[in-house]
This record gives sequence, structure tokens and C-alpha cells, in this order.
Amino acid sequence: MNPAASVLLLTTLTGFAYGLLAWIGGFAAAGVPPRSPGFAVVGVVIALMAASAGLFASMWHLGRKERAWRAFSQWRSSWLSREGVAAVLVYPIAAGFAAAAWFDFGGTAMRALGALTAVASLATVYCTAMIYASLKPIRQWHNPHTATDYLIFAIYSGAALYATLHALAFGHARRAAAITAAAAVIAWFAKQAYWRYVDGQTPLATLAAAIGLPESIEARPLDSPHFTENYILREMGFRVARRHAAKLRRLTLLIAFLLPFGFSMIASLTPWSLVACTLALAFAAVGMFVERWLFFAEATHVSALYYGRTI
Amino acid sequence: MTMLPRSTPGSRKLGLVIDLDTCVGCHACAVNCKEWNTGGEKGVLPDYDKYGGQPDGVWFNRIHSYETTESGCSRTVNFPRSCLHCENPLCVTVCPTGASYKRADDGIVLVDTDLCIGCKLCSWACPYGAREFDEDEGVMRKCTLCVDRIYDESLPEAEREPACVATCPARARHFGDLGDPESEVSKLVAERGGRELLGELGYRPTNRYLPPRRATIAAAPLEAPAQTGRGIGAALLGLLDRALSR
Amino acid sequence: MPARSVARTTCYMCACRCGIKVHLEDGKLRYIEGNRDHPVNRGVLCAKGSAGIMTAISPARLTSPLKRVGPRGSGEFVAISWDEAMSIATERLAAIRRDDPNRLAFYTGRDQSQSLTGHFARMFGTINFAAHGGFCSVNMAAAGLYSLGGAFWEFGEPDWEYARLFLLFGVAEDHDSNPIKLGLGRLKERGAKVISINPVRTGYSAIADEFIAIRPGTDGLLVLSLIHCLLAAGKIDAEFLVRYTNAHHLVVESPGAADHGLVVRDDAGRPLAHDRRSASIVDAAATGIDPALLGEYALPDGRRARPAFALLAERYLDPRYSPEAVAERCGIEAATIRRVAAEIAEVAFNQPVILAQGWTDTAGRRHESMLGRPVAMHAMRGISAHSNGFHSCRAIHVLQMLIGAVDTPGSWRYKSPYPKPVPGGPPPAGPRGPGMPLDGAPLGFPRGPEDLLVDETGEALRLDGAYSWEAPLAIHGLMHLAIARAYEAGPEKVDTLFLFMANMAWNSAMNPGETTRMLSECDASGNYRIPFVIVADAFASETVAYADLVLPDTTYLERHDCISLLDRPIGSAHGPADAIRVPVLPLDRDVRPFQEVLIDLGGRLGLPDFADANGKPLYSSYADYIVRHQRKPGIGPLAGFRGEDGSAIGKGAPNPEQLQRYVENGTFWSHHLPPEQLYYKHANRDYLSGSKAMGFIDQDAQIVLQLYCEPLQRLRLAAEGHGPRQPPARLRARIASYCDPLPIWYVPLEESMTERDRYPLHAITQRPMAMYHSWGSQNAWLRQILPENRLYLHHDRAAEIGVEDDDWVRVYSRNGSLKCQVRTMSGVNRDTVWTWNAIGKRAGAWALALDAPEFHRGFLLNHVISEYLPAKDDPIRFSNSDPVTGQAAWFDLTVRIERCEPDEPAETAPQPGANPLRVRPKTEKTP
Repeated sequence: MNPAASVLLLTTLTGFAYGLLAWIGGFAAAGVPPRSPGFAVVGVVIALMAASAGLFASMWHLGRKERAWRAFSQWRSSWLSREGVAAVLVYPIAAGFAAAAWFDFGGTAMRALGALTAVASLATVYCTAMIYASLKPIRQWHNPHTATDYLIFAIYSGAALYATLHALAFGHARRAAAITAAAAVIAWFAKQAYWRYVDGQTPLATLAAAIGLPESIEARPLDSPHFTENYILREMGFRVARRHAAKLRRLTLLIAFLLPFGFSMIASLTPWSLVACTLALAFAAVGMFVERWLFFAEATHVSALYYGRTI
Repeated sequence: MTMLPRSTPGSRKLGLVIDLDTCVGCHACAVNCKEWNTGGEKGVLPDYDKYGGQPDGVWFNRIHSYETTESGCSRTVNFPRSCLHCENPLCVTVCPTGASYKRADDGIVLVDTDLCIGCKLCSWACPYGAREFDEDEGVMRKCTLCVDRIYDESLPEAEREPACVATCPARARHFGDLGDPESEVSKLVAERGGRELLGELGYRPTNRYLPPRRATIAAAPLEAPAQTGRGIGAALLGLLDRALSR
Repeated sequence: MPARSVARTTCYMCACRCGIKVHLEDGKLRYIEGNRDHPVNRGVLCAKGSAGIMTAISPARLTSPLKRVGPRGSGEFVAISWDEAMSIATERLAAIRRDDPNRLAFYTGRDQSQSLTGHFARMFGTINFAAHGGFCSVNMAAAGLYSLGGAFWEFGEPDWEYARLFLLFGVAEDHDSNPIKLGLGRLKERGAKVISINPVRTGYSAIADEFIAIRPGTDGLLVLSLIHCLLAAGKIDAEFLVRYTNAHHLVVESPGAADHGLVVRDDAGRPLAHDRRSASIVDAAATGIDPALLGEYALPDGRRARPAFALLAERYLDPRYSPEAVAERCGIEAATIRRVAAEIAEVAFNQPVILAQGWTDTAGRRHESMLGRPVAMHAMRGISAHSNGFHSCRAIHVLQMLIGAVDTPGSWRYKSPYPKPVPGGPPPAGPRGPGMPLDGAPLGFPRGPEDLLVDETGEALRLDGAYSWEAPLAIHGLMHLAIARAYEAGPEKVDTLFLFMANMAWNSAMNPGETTRMLSECDASGNYRIPFVIVADAFASETVAYADLVLPDTTYLERHDCISLLDRPIGSAHGPADAIRVPVLPLDRDVRPFQEVLIDLGGRLGLPDFADANGKPLYSSYADYIVRHQRKPGIGPLAGFRGEDGSAIGKGAPNPEQLQRYVENGTFWSHHLPPEQLYYKHANRDYLSGSKAMGFIDQDAQIVLQLYCEPLQRLRLAAEGHGPRQPPARLRARIASYCDPLPIWYVPLEESMTERDRYPLHAITQRPMAMYHSWGSQNAWLRQILPENRLYLHHDRAAEIGVEDDDWVRVYSRNGSLKCQVRTMSGVNRDTVWTWNAIGKRAGAWALALDAPEFHRGFLLNHVISEYLPAKDDPIRFSNSDPVTGQAAWFDLTVRIERCEPDEPAETAPQPGANPLRVRPKTEKTP
């Protein structure tokens, strides 16, 4: 699948944003209120800004941006519509939570709004994931790993962002950095498990089946309907060389997980929290972008079979 | 509305039956479709870089040619690919705006280009590659089964069929109600073992493809008779010995 | 609400001539569809026809007359007025005509107005006229017209309704388009078996029930082997042979004598036969006789004679035609050949079609039913484009005759107005001198040496060598030689080359590099070797850049046209038909229909039939000409709606309302034959008398099918030293061996003169169905399908050479080399490579951007083909042609392929350099 920048930005930025909201809200829900009202408010504002940036970037993917509002209508069947609805709902909920923190509404309200914020944020991430996971023609997406991974990566990237903000606000982030490091380990294993899973998959179909012939027949393209790349090939026929992909996978592991893990450990164990957390966040951000690029680039679509491409 | 209409037995399912035994791969259906839809009610089908280095455009119908091999025996199969008007079209349910929809009364899957926001998700949801993006208008386009022809009462009844069917020079394309087991197309499917594409994905396509076949002639080997003088064989001599009448 | 209208006219996106309905909205093209009432296409329309809109609005359309200002080939022109253009052309041509009309060489391409262009040439007085048939299908036309009085494609069609076995020979995707597809669809629907005998399995061959990957150029040998099998097994229709062919005609057996091999005739010229019943020599056309097909008989004058069939049987029963003997050469297993022969015999003789339909033969006998042998055959370019194509096509016709499969139910049928008496028309007219029109049509049908157009030394009178001992039955001329021979002949012989709708500087040229060099070469004083070139075309083709004067034509939707029975009509087995085109779109640029220009030119030149005795032009327009011109009394360009009241068909006075009547009828006229006339047309009394009444034929006698082709024997006797007209010494052996009255097979000439181990692969082309005969590469829709081409080869060959899909290779032939990319496949003869023709374009042409794939990844095989055979010590080089008909032997090419080095530029070669048209506006002064 074509790794369009708009969609990569959307899913990466919203991962950090909703992950951060999940942490802030989650801590509040768990009865660990923010160390200062300002921290909660700033955290929410930064998260909503990042989410907005991602959502805004995703608008560039649309052919008719001015009609984007129509996307909220089909929540009964469409995960994209649900994502939109959920993303919009996050704003008032998170704002409510921030207000509660700022005006110090007290325990129950804080806990309830925190929980709501966390749930709405993670629900949005889940909806995003399900857009991809629901697409049957793409085996690398249409599997249980997709939603799980999106949630894990959101929690992980949110933790990295949380830790950095924490270090920035309070000069240290021992606990948050430790959580980030733990999340990085989980994310590492999740990604490895995903790759193992998709590498073990068999193609969804053969070319023979795609043209209505028995599976026992071997089919090979002779002539294409057209010579130059068309929409289908640009969008669904994107190919990344196996060797190139392997390199990028190693790079992803290094930048997205290993380095942030290391810096998070440093942040949690040494006094250089801010620098280490910032580096962890920076690597995580770049790493998650690469991870997302691969998630698209390595995904194959059944329709590319018609052009003789392997899926 | 992207929720699917409930399909009941006997409900109308308009679609195409494409005969791979007869398709010569001439692209007539594809070009005539392009032509009809370029001026049709659904707007112009764009072309990009018409006279340049990367000529490209939106087509609802694309013709592939394949070589197939079965137990050492190979053949060439031409394959027209277009929307199959599935009963379970994921392209419809993923649409966030309701622009993609399946009509309850005839099963045709359409895009309302006035509602489409051009998110392209429907094209990702289609395993058949039947939807193409209109870069000029920023909306998704697809085969309409010539909905603006087949119900046009200003046309003579015989002409109320999709452009690709009307124009097919080998008559390899058939149009009708696949929901009616007594229709000509349903009978053709039954008789010829019409197949659905990628059935295991669960889209339940309406269109069917008739597989290629091989006609044979059972003929006894010709005898190789003994030669006589001047090289004329006994069989020929026997034949020509009989009286002929002019 | 836009103003909508529908106009009916005739398509011209290829040579198929389908009826179309053109939908207009506010006067603009909206949609083109097939006309369901039309006899040719019955409502269907191919990709090209459907892309007509994009041709009508193509930016490659020429917009005004042009005069060259830069050097030839530079593409630099100035726009001029029609007045100026017509004056230039008129002055030039008038001077030529006063001096020697043959100094005008007038060649037209995919023209559908040959009855007009040919008539213009005749009235102008030049013998140097031809259309594109010489490089397309003359082998098929000549073999058919000299054998059956009809031919594959235009003059015949398979019986799609009743055929049970269909043999499709050679690359034939392109002729014709929709009728064959409709027919194949019908055959498949009925479960008939289709066998494709073709080196390449695409298109029609893809849906064949059996594909036989034959080696190019060996179809004739395969057919002779099938004949061998059928003869050996006695599976022939002897009754059909004696009734409808010349199988029983006696042939003189006196080797060395002047009459050896000629048909024995009585004093009235009637062929004779041996009647076994009376044991005497009788009129071969007599009824009630029992003609001998074998044996040798003494004639009353003491000469010996044998039935033609006996010669045939003796020849083809020879073991050298056995399947085992031909298998390797053809690339087909002997068992396959035997099985196909058995299937032919099974279908022909065990599964005959018998229609309960009475008919009357030319002898007046009533038959209660029509017996048919449901084995149909069709062949086209794949047979035609070889230098043995004439005989290969004759071999197919002989096979058809032997099994009784000519115009019988289920077999191959004549398209009315055919059959015509063999060989099909009067001989070609010779030159008459300054200012004089020719006595007859410049293209005709020689019956023997006396009809050839040769000088006292036996050399060709025509520029292209047609009707000479080089190509005696070149009934369509040799267009592919026109430029090369005009160049060689020099200005004394050819002053003006006038080309219409023919891309002779590119894809219609063998060896475009040489051709463009010849067009642009000057002598020492700076004068062009070919002094003046006029090109008439609607589009900026590669050839336009080499014109001195460009006469811009309209598209097919902007003019009148006439698909005439005097030319190549649209009739079918069901009856004669013709059609017109009418202007559907208004002209939006300064161009004129070529036919109109030609009629104007004829009027200005004062040509007979174009101007009256006072030099006043006779016709105001082409439409006027179509209605009022009469070739013979009562016979004009259109056969329908003649007579004062429009009720006459075929023959009748001109009807001023005729075009209106055509428009009302959907722009065509067709006449449905009654059922008793639908088969056995060559011997069907009612059909032939009807055909005569409509003016198609002059006599309604039986048309005897020519198993034995006597005109060839007459030519051969001359080569053996008999008669007053003999070939020059250099051509004697050639005439003697190739002018065989019975089909022969030989290795295609170029192949036979080329080292097999250096050039081991056959190389052929075909036109893609979506582009054949169309000017496709500038069409915005069609060029999305195929803007570049590959060289296809078998997987095994590719593995040997070490190439995979899209790798670059260099293709070498004896004539040069080219560079292209490959694609591998399994459905191709292992010793054959092929590509789509006419996709590659010259950079700058056709108004395409300079980065168009057609220029950089498209290629023409033409670059490695030569119009000449390998040179020996011949004073006149031999054309790369069939030695009988002069048909351009495109498919005789053999090549070698080598992988390109990886660092070579990714661009096809040769690249002759860009020369886009640069037109200065009218107002600027010409230097």
C-alpha cells in the first residue's frame, strides 16, 4: 500500500497524542492526580494539538477537504466515521478533564473525567486501527495484531511523550521513564510478533482464483490493460524490495524501540532525565514514523494480483 | 447510507456475466465504457497527461491478458475486470460519508460523487481493484452498470443495457438479473459453471465469469492406404472409380 | 438542457466500415455507438470505433495547407491558403501531364475511395498508381480472385451459422475487426471447434480450442500436407470437383512444347474433359458426363492430356508432403497434422450440413437441398506477408475446393457482389502518352504475358515493377517500393510523388531510415532526387515532415465518403451492400476532404470525367460526384436507391435524392438475397443472373473454380522460351519456378538467402486489436492501453539469451539492428519473436510531447526490414516481395537477439531525432 505522508502523520501523531491523554487520564482515574494542575492542562493542550495536527494532516489525504464534515455520518458501519466521531468526542472530554484539573474539581469528577479521557483516547486509536484491520484484501492489516499493536504503540509513544513533559515540568521523570522503557519492551515484542505473523501468512489468493479459474491452474500476466502506472498500481501496487524492507525493520527496532528504551532507562536511573527523555521521545517519534511507513509499504493488496504482483 | 440493504431470496441482482471462453481481449468494452461515462450523468472520466509521457486516466473496466498452465497445457485468457456489484461490498460499509451505497431494488453499487470526500478507503476495501480515483474532482469513481442507460425509457428497450455489453463485438458480455434463477444470465451461469471471483473473501460478487472451455472433434484416424502406381493410393482410386456426374 | 441529436454514419477508425450512431450535444461529440441495424457490425463497436471522439479532437490534426520552408524532413512549413495550395498542385501536375503523365506517382494508403483515386489516375494518364493493398493483402486477393473469383476477408467470409470446424490461419486479428469477432462469438456459442494455426497465441487465437504454434512461412506446407492426408485417404468431394472446379479439365501433357500445361480447349475456347461414359473428349461444362479425374488421354490431334486433378493428386501424394516429412519444418508434430486432417474429413464427410432449400444451378438443374461441408477457413496477414503467400493462400483454396467447402453451407462463403469471373476483371491499362488518359483502370488482372506492362526488353513500365516479370500478378501494385524506385529512377522518370493517407516515411515503410534518406537526398546542385512530394493527410504523421506541399484532410466525421461497390464494398454472404459517410461535425479549421480536393484538382486539370469538353469542372463536391458520376451507363459509386424514383438497385439512372435516401436508411444500402441464392453462388443461376442484372458481372455463366491456375502456366511457358513476350534472362528461372499452376511451397525468399545460424529467429508483427488500421498512437484513450511495445519471445528462448521481462535487447537482422525491451510468454512458436506494429513513433510526430513513451520505449521492427532482397549481382535489385504478386514480405524477416549491457541507455534505438512540425502563420513572408 502506498505510504502516503498524510496518513503516516495522522496515525503517528495521534498515537502520541492519544497515548499521552491515556496516560494523563489514566493516572487521574487511578487516583494519581497530576502533580500540578498546570501539568495536566499543558499535557491535554499538547495532546490535543498533536492530535489536531494529525487530523489536519489526514485532511490532505482527502480529495474534497471541504466535505470532511460528512465523514461523521456513517458511524454505524464505517470505522473511519467512528474514528472521526471518537476524535471529536475526545476534545470536550479532555477539555472537561483539564478544566477539572485546573479548577480542582476534586476526586470523583477527576477520576471519572480522567477515565473518560483515557477511554475516549484509546477508543479513537482503536477506531483508527480498525480502519486498517477491517480491510479484508490486505492480509498484513486484516488480523488481530493490528488493533493490539496500534494500542500498544499509542500507549508506548504516549508514555515517551508523558515522560518528556514530566521531565520538562519537574526536572525528572524516573517513574514515567521506567514505564516508557517497559512499554518499549512490550512494543518491541509486539512488533516482532506482528512481523513473525505476517511473514508466516500465505497469500490470500492466487491469480487463478482472482480470475475465476481453479486454484490448480497457474496463471501469469501476459499483457496489462495499460502501460503507465494507474491509480490502482500507485495506491495498491506499492512495492518495497525485500532487502530494503529487512533493513528498515532493523532500523525500526533500533530507533523506535531500542534507543528509546536505552534513553528511558538512563532517564529513570540517572539525573539526566530531561535530555534522555527528550532523546527517547525524538527517536520514538522518528522510529514510529518509520514503523508506520513499513506498515503501509509492506502491506499488499489482493487487487495487485491482477497485475501479476505478489501479495 | 452505507449500511447494506437486506438481501432476500428472489430480490433483483443486476449484473454481468462475462464469457472468458469468448473474450478476445479487444478492449472494446473498456473504451466504449470510457466513452459513455465520459459524458454520462456521473461526470467526465478524467485523463491525465493525454499526449505526454505518462498517459493515464480513470477507467471503469480494464482488460488483462494472462497465460495459464494446467498440467503442462497452456492457453491465453483475456480477462475484463470491473466492479462486480457484490452482495457484501466492503467498499460500501467502509465509506464514512454514505457516498458509496448499494441500491436495494437492483443491487447496483454506486458512488454519489456529491457526497464523496475522496478518502479512498473504499478502493482499499475492494479486492478487485474496481474503483479508481478521479484526481481532477477529488472523488472516487466506479462502474455504474450504466444505470443511466438501463433505465432510460427514451431508449428502445433492446438498447437498455450497459455500454460494455452493447458494444462487445464477440458477444462475450451478458447483462441481466442474477437474482432470478430463470433469467437468461442465471441459466447461462448454471449451464456453463459460471464462477465468482475470490469467493473465499466473502464479498459475494454478483457478476460471474464463464470459464474457458475446449471444443473437440472425435475423429477416427485416417487410414494410410497402400500406394499403387504413379503414387495414387487405393483409397483415392476407389473413390474415383465410382461414376461421377457433372 | 443541451440540444441532443443522433446522426448515423460509417466508422473509419479502421478498414472495417461499421455503421455508427454519433450522439451530439450542442453540436459537440458526446458518444459513438454501433448501429444495430447495420449489416456489418449489428450494433457492436470495437475499441477504435469507440475512441473516435478522441481522434476527432486530436491535437495532431492538421489545420491548414502547408508549404515547406525548411529542408525536407525538418518539419518547417508555412501555412498557405487553399488557393495557393491548389495552384501549386495544379501547375505542377498540369506540366507533368503535358510531358509524361507517368511522372506522377500517386499512391494512397488505407484509402476507402479507390474507385475515385484510381479513376483520377486513369484520367490523368499515369500507370503509377496503387493503394496499400500491395503491402497488406494482395497475396490473399490475388490467390482468391485467381482461384475462386472471391477472396478471404473482403470478398468472402466463413459461414458462422453452420460451420462446425473453423481453421484460422496466420496472424489475422486485424482483418477484419467486428465481423470476425461476432462470428467467432457465434461459433463459440454453438460449440464449433476453432483451430488457430498461428505462431502467436493472442486475441482470436486465445479463444481457439486448439492452438498450433506454426513456424512462420510454413502454412502452405502444412496445408499441402493436410491435402496429402486427405488425398491418400480418399477424403475428397469428387462430385463437387467435377461440378464446380476445373479438376477434370484436360491439361496438355507435352513437356517442352509451347502448349504444355495449358488447358485443352475446343475451337470456341471451351475447356475439354474426358467423359468416361462415352469414352470421348467432351466439353468440360457439359452436363450428364462422367468426367475422368485420373488417367492420361489421347486427344484427336494426337496430343496427350491429363485431367488437372491427376496432376494435383500426383504432386501432393508424394511422400515429401507427408506429415512426417513436413513436421520439423513446420514445427508441428506429424500426429497433430494427421489428426487435424482426420477432423477435417470427419466434419466434412460425416457431419455434412444439409439445408432443405431448393436451388437451380447454371445448367438449369433443380436441386432440392443444399449440401454443405461445414469446414470454414479464414486467413489474412500471416499468410499474406510472406514471399510464398500467394501459393500458400492458393493451397488453402485448393484444400477448400477438394472438400467441397466453397460457398456451401457451413464453409467459406462469397460476400456479394463476389464471386466474379476468374480472374476477376480486365487487365491493367498501359500508358498512352502525353496528355492522354489510360484506356482502362491502372490496376487489373493479367491473364498471361500479353497483359504485362513491360517494355521491349521485358523490364517494368511501372515505377514499382507491378505487372512486370518481377511481379506479374501484382494486382494492387507495390506501394512499398514506390519511394525506393522513384529515388532510383530519378527526376526524369518521377517528378511528383503524391501520397494520400499513407505513412510511407515511417511505419508503412520497410526500412524507414533509408526511406527518409531517399526522400531528403539532393543531387550536387541541391535539387531533391525526388523533385516534388505532395502529402494529403488529416494528421501530422511522420511523412508530413517530408512533404513539399501538404493538403490537410478532414477526419471521417467531417465529410462525405462512399464505400462503393466499384471499390471494396461492405456486402456479405447475405447480399450486396454499400454505404456512405456524411459530415456529422462542422469543420473548425482550414482543411478540406481529400476526395473533394482530388475532384477539384481533376476539374482544374481538365481531366476527362472531371471536367467537360470546355474544361469546366463537372462536379461541385464529392457528394455531387457520388450521386452523378457514372462509370458505365446506369452504374455509379452507389448501387442503392438508383433510378429517377430511387427504386432501382445496382443499375439505374442517377437519383438526385440518393444521398438523402441513404441517410434515411442509416447511411447504408443492403440487398437481402432470397434463400435460394445464399449458397453455391458460383453456380447458382438465380444468383448469377441477379448479380448480372445489378451490374456486378457482365455474364451470368457458371464461375468455374480454378484448382489449376492456367494464367500462371502461360507465364511459365514464356519463361521457358515460348511466345512473343518472354521475361528477360535474369528473371526466367524465377518465373519458371514460381509461376506454377498448382500451389507450391518454398522457403520464404529472404529467409532462404539469409544465414540461418546467424539469424535463427523469425520476427513478425501484428497490429493490436485496439489499434489496427487506426491512427491510434495520438488517440488519448488508445495510447493509454499501448503507448509502447515489447518484443515477445518464448520463455525458453529468453532463458537461453539470459533475459527476463523488460530487459533490453538488441535485435540484429541482415539489414541492421534495433534496441528494445522484451516480454516472455509461452504461447509463441519457439523460433519466433514478435511485436505490436506501429506503436513506435518518431519523436516529434503526431503532436505528442517529446517525452512520450511511443518515442522512447516504442519501436518499429521496420527498421531491420529491407524493401530489397539481399543484393547479388543483379542489375535491378529484387524487391522483398512475393515473386508472383509483389506482396511486401514483411514476415520473412529473420533475426538474432543479444542482451544489452546493463549500462546502455534505457531507450529504444534507432532514434532518428525529433522533427516536430513548426508552422509559420500565413501572414509571414516565405523566404
